[in-house]
Amino acid sequence: MVKVFKWWWGILLAFFLLALVRVFLPLPFANEIMIFSIYTMGCSFLLGRVGFISFGQPAYLAVGAYATAFYLFYFGTNPYIGILLGILAGLVVSAIIGTFFVRLRSDYFALVNLALAVIIFYLMEKVLAKITHGDNGLWFLANMSSTPVLDLGKPSHFFVFSFLVALALWAFYKYLDDTIYGACCLATKTNEDKLKFLGYSNFRIRWMAFIIANATTALAGSLYAVYLGFVSPAITHPARAADPVVVTILGGVGTLYGPIVGAIAYTGMKDLLSGFIANWELFIGLVLIFIMLAGEKGIWGTLEPILKKAFLKKNVSPGVQDSGEKRG
Amino acid sequence: MMNVQLLISGVIFGLSIGSVYFLLAIGLSLCFGLMRIISMDQLLYYSVGAYLTYTIHVVTGNTWLGVLGGMITAGLVSFAVERFVFFRIYERDITFTMITSFGILFAGVGAIKYIWGLIPRPVPIPINAQVLILGTEVPVYRLIVVGISLLVYLGIWLFLNRTITGKAIRAGIEDVEHVEGLGINVYGLFTITFIIAGSLSGLAGGLHASLIMVDPQMGLEVLAFVFMVVIIGGLGSIKGTLASAFIVGQVISLGSLVYAPLAQMAPFATMLLILLIKPTGLYGSRLLKR
Repeated sequence: MVKVFKWWWGILLAFFLLALVRVFLPLPFANEIMIFSIYTMGCSFLLGRVGFISFGQPAYLAVGAYATAFYLFYFGTNPYIGILLGILAGLVVSAIIGTFFVRLRSDYFALVNLALAVIIFYLMEKVLAKITHGDNGLWFLANMSSTPVLDLGKPSHFFVFSFLVALALWAFYKYLDDTIYGACCLATKTNEDKLKFLGYSNFRIRWMAFIIANATTALAGSLYAVYLGFVSPAITHPARAADPVVVTILGGVGTLYGPIVGAIAYTGMKDLLSGFIANWELFIGLVLIFIMLAGEKGIWGTLEPILKKAFLKKNVSPGVQDSGEKRG
Repeated sequence: MMNVQLLISGVIFGLSIGSVYFLLAIGLSLCFGLMRIISMDQLLYYSVGAYLTYTIHVVTGNTWLGVLGGMITAGLVSFAVERFVFFRIYERDITFTMITSFGILFAGVGAIKYIWGLIPRPVPIPINAQVLILGTEVPVYRLIVVGISLLVYLGIWLFLNRTITGKAIRAGIEDVEHVEGLGINVYGLFTITFIIAGSLSGLAGGLHASLIMVDPQMGLEVLAFVFMVVIIGGLGSIKGTLASAFIVGQVISLGSLVYAPLAQMAPFATMLLILLIKPTGLYGSRLLKR
């Protein structure tokens, strides 16, 4: 019982604080944070655990969002089925694309993903304009039927739903860290040759990680679609390609709570700063450079050891960090 | 049968676009080859070059002077960035530098918005003359852009093959540690390469400014295309970059003649195809394994 509690306390505490966010902050802001942190979790897993940096996460976001949007606009009315279809589309697309992509070197991987995001942008904006209505986007807020327990059409109910989804995902990623598979992921990042000697297939581990991460991203996409009731090609615009990477770095690479801390900080800065100055990019960019030069720990990576020391009264070794290896 | 006049102007358009991409991609390729960094901030120097061209044109009325000024300023900005940021992080792995350089690009776009505002600015073409090629009127300016990029290729080739510094850089692309062992200051080489890359990006921006509207997001818009050129050519190869820049240019312009929405899609399909056949790009070396 104690062991179970120990495993869960961190998550429960984090989510208790998150529930406070709901009380103190306006609802749209809270919803934005929830979706954004789900969006970032996939990228954080890829970057922190497998060592793949992807500048093309919006591509998978768009896959989920458009799968949901097509269903709700043309075929059905139930938002839950729409979200399930979004996840399914994410799984299928990333399983197919993953077979080609994960064989590439990590530098090529980042660039090829970026290219994919741009392909999907033009596909949705121009080539499939008859189905996607181009830049006008698909509006289906009125199509969604109200569902019995949690009515996703209402923002307050939507918050509870996305909250539960995020909680489940967090538990899943924490569980993954404890399994042999999680250890293999870390091994393929640090030393793939040694892992090969141990009899594991680097390709399969990376492929699985790619699918898990991008299905998460697709789920975030379909949540966006249901929440806004509208999808346009703007969500996969190349200028937004690095959002999840920025948030991952901001929160702390490879830390479990990094995504949510980063999402709160990023959304908060964006909202606050755009009130004062029109160009918040300058500030975000400078913060990013500062974090990278100051040891790339991010907000949570810096706070974690301090908090643990204060609450647990003992020294803990810092978590898994991307401790800039010297090149060989 | 396709209209011959349309075809010729399409080819010329593709060549000029390819030249701009080549000038941008060569900087990225050199930086990757020598320093093993992916320098996304080259796109910032491209925007700086374009904006300087605009400002100098407004003040003096001469676009060529603007292109020159843009190139020099871009070189200076890249020198400053290299001193303050990259100098500290050359030793880190490639993911690290990629994210940092993206931070620089992002901050730079913000700074440009702050200085010049959000409105797209027009820059007039310095030469309005047309020349007849096989019965088709072709703008002279586009031909000059192609000529300049070929001259740059020649210049880079001579620099890398005929000067001591260039030879040291080429040796560094093969193996940095051995060059350092010979007593050559590799960080000096890094600085020189970075400034060359930055000035060429500025030149690309200045030349491209007259062909499009200058706006703060212009760097992010060409980002994907330039990386595509670099990937198709193979990271670290200059010959490959030239070949792939012209391939991509032609695919864009001829693709748009066949079916307009294809223009932006076709290069990516080409890239995926080439990566499937050869995962390191056309001329990428197999030595650069992770």
